[in-house]
Amino acid sequence: MSRTNIIALLIFGAILGYFLSFGPDMTQKFKSGVYQLLAPFLTSGSGLKKQITSVSTGLKSLDQLEHQNSALQVENRELRATNQGLRDVEHEVNRLRHALNYRERSVFKLIAAEIVARDSSTWWRTVTINRGKRDGIEIDMSVVTAEGLVGKITTISNNISVVLLASDENCRVAASVEGSREQGIVSGERVTTGLSPLLDLNFLTKQAGLKPGQKVYTSGVGGVFPSGLLIGAVKTFRVRELDGQAQLTPAVDLSHLEDVFIVTGRR
Amino acid sequence: MIFFFLLLLLVLAAQIAELFIPALPWLYSAHVYIVPVIVFYGAMALPFPLMLALALYAGVLLDALTVQVIGGKVEISTGSSILLYGVLAGIMHGLRPLFARGRWEVHCILSGIFTSLIVLAQYLMITFRRGSIVFTREIWWQIGGPGLIAMAVAPILFWLLQWMGRMTAYAYGPERGRFE
Repeated sequence: MSRTNIIALLIFGAILGYFLSFGPDMTQKFKSGVYQLLAPFLTSGSGLKKQITSVSTGLKSLDQLEHQNSALQVENRELRATNQGLRDVEHEVNRLRHALNYRERSVFKLIAAEIVARDSSTWWRTVTINRGKRDGIEIDMSVVTAEGLVGKITTISNNISVVLLASDENCRVAASVEGSREQGIVSGERVTTGLSPLLDLNFLTKQAGLKPGQKVYTSGVGGVFPSGLLIGAVKTFRVRELDGQAQLTPAVDLSHLEDVFIVTGRR
Repeated sequence: MIFFFLLLLLVLAAQIAELFIPALPWLYSAHVYIVPVIVFYGAMALPFPLMLALALYAGVLLDALTVQVIGGKVEISTGSSILLYGVLAGIMHGLRPLFARGRWEVHCILSGIFTSLIVLAQYLMITFRRGSIVFTREIWWQIGGPGLIAMAVAPILFWLLQWMGRMTAYAYGPERGRFE
């Protein structure tokens, strides 16, 4: 091995040792710094992806177009008939939608954010949002939608932040079950294969006997997530050797998120 | 040197692109990894010091985007990706003479295997931290899937990178002369 190669190897080893010595604080700063540098690429990449998606969904084959055309003609006749009646309803719906705007009716102070990127790694479930320190975002703040809990902030830079989704195994949420005194910890599963991941509600009593459809909310224990946020609904319940475990369907479709809100406090 | 900086740019672009490529539902939600293929090409094409620099750069980027700090604890140490890339790129660099002779197939296959090894190493590290080692069919596919994809795209990417190398008048090192 030449002298140049040995020197290169020593420098590589020294830099590697420096990175391996990073503690949590240094790692957090390092991540924030890199995200800060990548922020312009991530936000512009998000816009580009939207444009590409809209173009690709617009391209259809001739067969598809013919089929769609005949279906649309039938639909058009039906719609003409119902359209007249709906005109009056439209005004009322708009008014109600405005009145029910989640941000307005929420008991929390919320900051709206858009998802700019999804995690590319296999073992962690995170998304990147276009809000950061500059908008008053802090680590461990809860992220929600009108439907329920999304996750919590784990990394922040000036313009963007990383959200650990509730479907990640590391995102543990203290939870209580509607209509019972049962409390437990919700976490994601290590591996999900379907588009809609499921959540596990652990440490229930064996006698819990949860029924499918029962809603599960954050209990507020632990202080990270405020109480009263809908996490999901019970899908199945099983008794294990020491405790009971329920599988939950998340209230939020975590695989198709576009806009979220960050909870900055209570009103 | 121009080619080396071009590779650095491509690694950055590929790393960002990976964030926008969705997981493949038909392959057990396996992810698409392009960066390792570029790094492993660089390992064959570049001299040893530059190969280490490229591995370091790609490792730093991967660590920054994957390492999670949750509840004040780091799940995978920063630097683990640098070490992984360094070792695997080093092995690939050892096969440089074969590449210089124009034999790419071994490197294409190895690019896939090494990509899966990176995903497997990450899984073993998080399993060590989280406990309960599990290997289901889904997990094997999520480890093997990215490798298969990398293996499939490697010939195209290698050809493109070879072309870029020629465009930038990059000399592929002394091994070429020794074996041709």
